[in-house]
Amino acid sequence: MSSPNDLRRDFQTALGAARSLAELQALRDRFLSRKNGLITALVKSIAQAPPADRPALGGAANALKQDVERALDAREAELRAEAPVAGAVDVTLPGRVVALGRRHPLTQVRERIEDIFLSMGYEVVEGPELEDDWHNFEALNMPPEHPARDMQDTLYLAAPMPASSGGRPATLLRTHTSGMQIRYMEAHRPPVRIIAPGRVYRRDNFDATHTPMFTQVEGLVVDEGISLGDLKGTLQAFAERLFEPGIKTHFRPSFFPYTEPSAELDVECPECRGKGCALCKHTGWIEVLGCGMVHPAVFEAVGYDADKYTGFAFGIGIERLALRKYGIDDIRMFYENDLRFLGQVAL
Amino acid sequence: VKLPADWLREFVDVPAAPRAVASKLTACGFDVASVDGGVIDVEVTANRPDCLSIEGLAREVAAAFSLPLKQKTRKASGAPASQPGQKPILPVSIGDAGCGRYALAVADVSVGESPDWLRSRLTEAGVRPISNLVDVTNYVMLEMGHPMHAFDLLKLTGPEIRVRRARAAEKLKTLDGQDRTLDETMLVIADRDRAVALAGVMGGAATEVSHTTTAVAIESAWFRPTLVRSASRRLGLKTEASARFERGADVTAPVRALERALALLTEIGAGQPRGAVVDVYPHPHVARHVALDRRHVARLLGTAIEDAEIERILRALEFRVATTPDGWTVDPPPFRVDVTREADLIEEIGRHWGFDRIPPSFPPLRTAPSAAPPAERETRRILCGAGLQEAETFTFIEQAAAAPFASSPESIVAIANPLSEKFAVLRPSLLPGLLDSLVYNRRRGTADVRLFEVGSTFSPDGERRRAGWVMTGARVDHWAAEAEAVDFFDAKGVAELLAAAARTSLSAEAADDLPWLVRGRAARLVQASPDGPVLVGSVGQIRPAIVVARGGGESDVVYAGQIDLGMLGRAERGGSFQIEPLPRQPSIVRDVSILVDERLPAARVRGTIRANAPATLVALREFDRYEGPGVPSGRVSLSIRMTFRDRDRTLTDGEVQQAVELIVRALEREHGAVLR
Repeated sequence: MSSPNDLRRDFQTALGAARSLAELQALRDRFLSRKNGLITALVKSIAQAPPADRPALGGAANALKQDVERALDAREAELRAEAPVAGAVDVTLPGRVVALGRRHPLTQVRERIEDIFLSMGYEVVEGPELEDDWHNFEALNMPPEHPARDMQDTLYLAAPMPASSGGRPATLLRTHTSGMQIRYMEAHRPPVRIIAPGRVYRRDNFDATHTPMFTQVEGLVVDEGISLGDLKGTLQAFAERLFEPGIKTHFRPSFFPYTEPSAELDVECPECRGKGCALCKHTGWIEVLGCGMVHPAVFEAVGYDADKYTGFAFGIGIERLALRKYGIDDIRMFYENDLRFLGQVAL
Repeated sequence: VKLPADWLREFVDVPAAPRAVASKLTACGFDVASVDGGVIDVEVTANRPDCLSIEGLAREVAAAFSLPLKQKTRKASGAPASQPGQKPILPVSIGDAGCGRYALAVADVSVGESPDWLRSRLTEAGVRPISNLVDVTNYVMLEMGHPMHAFDLLKLTGPEIRVRRARAAEKLKTLDGQDRTLDETMLVIADRDRAVALAGVMGGAATEVSHTTTAVAIESAWFRPTLVRSASRRLGLKTEASARFERGADVTAPVRALERALALLTEIGAGQPRGAVVDVYPHPHVARHVALDRRHVARLLGTAIEDAEIERILRALEFRVATTPDGWTVDPPPFRVDVTREADLIEEIGRHWGFDRIPPSFPPLRTAPSAAPPAERETRRILCGAGLQEAETFTFIEQAAAAPFASSPESIVAIANPLSEKFAVLRPSLLPGLLDSLVYNRRRGTADVRLFEVGSTFSPDGERRRAGWVMTGARVDHWAAEAEAVDFFDAKGVAELLAAAARTSLSAEAADDLPWLVRGRAARLVQASPDGPVLVGSVGQIRPAIVVARGGGESDVVYAGQIDLGMLGRAERGGSFQIEPLPRQPSIVRDVSILVDERLPAARVRGTIRANAPATLVALREFDRYEGPGVPSGRVSLSIRMTFRDRDRTLTDGEVQQAVELIVRALEREHGAVLR
């Protein structure tokens, strides 16, 4: 007959090996069966022990029986908890996601810019990509053979074609969205407060930092008493909303034939906070846009009273801003449409 | 323009280090590309030819630092002034108004190397020393901004100088060894027999100065900017001289520059002037007077600037300033060809007062802003919602990519001066670009590709805004789904979604003549309008040969669609935004399955049902199309669900049954349909 201690040791070993409810039931029967359970046998054997040993043996057997029952019950609860539930699913498998496409990063930046100006009361207008010389150059104070035409190497159509809104036949691919200033002012009286986003084209190489096609957002505000201060305040607000509140900006005088005075807006490099890094070419600043006060010759071209009205205009290049916002260094990525790239932007 | 600091200091005693000078220049409108040791590389904008010179930049630096500018180049030279009545060695005649002034000096020279100081000056400024004679003209051009040209006197026939238009097809070999063919739009310098220089652009090889030259004629002239620019552009020939003349040289500078050059030649022992300076100057410069109103300064800049500061800035830039009751009368100096009106003066004041000092303000909103949402935003969102990724492809593409998608070769719009064959024509459709992007992704291992683009397409009639989409691979990518390939109806569904969003509907007609789509899997999309049906787009499978020609795989199955947004948009504006109240009466649904000829379009079955149904038929849709075991060959089983409802009362089973029987009889009669 095994001692209670031996039985306890055997039970512990067997319990550790029981992996299923069936094995556990076999174990329960082996130790606790009324007919031939090992503990049952132990209890029965106490009657044959010397009378002096019986109380101690009886106590030990009872304690063993209770411990075994508790251990079996606990293990059974554990095994029941582990057992598969009918109809259970593997919740760790991927969910079924509605396949949503994403807007192109250039669209996302453009819509962000549109939203900023919409909230300032601007109207969003669009115009033709094929332009005539008047709207693209001449009305913008760039008569034929003006040296500033070299700043924008132009792509011409092999044959003129009717402009989509009638009028002059189109002869070229617009080199900037500034022609929309003219188109809008020809059709509307002041006050004017518009932005005009769209594609523009230049005869430029296609490499990591240049592209013959890019996207601009033109802005134009005309009213009585509009000043360079208003331009600064507007663009400071724009830069803070696009980058972050309190970002430093810097206005540098520059030259565009259709604005006087002209300026370029630099924003403190968001990468290095003005200390100088590869992104800002160690200047601490990044160029964001060109702007200025509408040249009186432009007002004269559209029949506005240049003594009464003043205004400001600006032109934002979206690709360069997007490069900065997404932290990439090759502009071609925007036009390759690699899904591994496009799939990374926000939904 | 390279600005060496020691050269700059000959004009202005600026104590600041080159970097500090550079940042002041930037602040008043001159971008600095780099500061390398003592040399500042300045980027001069196209309106400032006066600053393509050390002296011009020194003037800006002097004004920025409130320091005096030294009048170094204005000192009298050793050259004798021309005497009236004295016969010139070389007569000059101007035969064209495009030359506003022509000054000429003759000098006996001994050509050799320049002294070290001159050579190192030029090198610092980025110009290669050539010979003492050429170096001196280059030195004066760099310093004063005025280009000059030296002819070998003995190689000029006559000898004389005539300024005239080139003759048609007149030949000139320029200094760079190129044979140029000229035309009447170009201005030349000629001797008695031939053109010897292209005015303001480049001299000719025949009269070039060489090491054997003993006497030179030095030209210092003024040419009309548009003539110089157009000649330079037509010949594709840009030079330091043309860059200055086309932007506008100083018409008062030629004699001063010539005298400076002669003085330098003498100083370095390279030559001696012979005779007097000839100066043909038919219409001497008259100063412009520009009125400047102090209120306009404050209005345009948004801040008031003290009178004294305005006067200091303008005078430092060598403008003449006289006060008037409202402000000033200002005479711009002759070298400031860019300043012609009040706004130009205000810019001068603003940039030297400091743009950064102008306080920011905000323009008042005096009228209600427009509430119109930006066009095409919704279209993009809907297409994203349809599981398509937005792409941006090029507007100009190669001819071979465009051709299969154009209705005819004549309908493709070409670019006159494309950058390369890859960008030669304007896209007639969004599909070629999208197809190329799809292939690009497939070749990089992405199996399932669904792309869309919203953009302009072009034909000789003009430009149109369109939405286009392409799709290939599996419809659903999920572990629990069968990998089903996209098909015609995925592509068509996109068009139906766009139409629904525009509150209109499209009908499809089988199309066998669209050259980019597979026959039998191609449809025209037609929209009903008050003026009759309008073609708004197409949908179908792109022909495999086109996919392969663009680099795709033999087995790639690509579906595509395209829709004209302008047309869909017009329909939308007429649409109603009302919602019907929900019905209070229950509806009765009946399904019928019929066997019909497999070639019979479902749209005809639908039409027959509608034509023969009572007004209580409120909905009708196909829910199954089956061919296979149990269906005779050549026929299909079409299952249709019909929903009947009356607005005012509950329909009875009997009357619906009667209606269905009438419909079935009509289907039997018109299409030989058999009820299953």
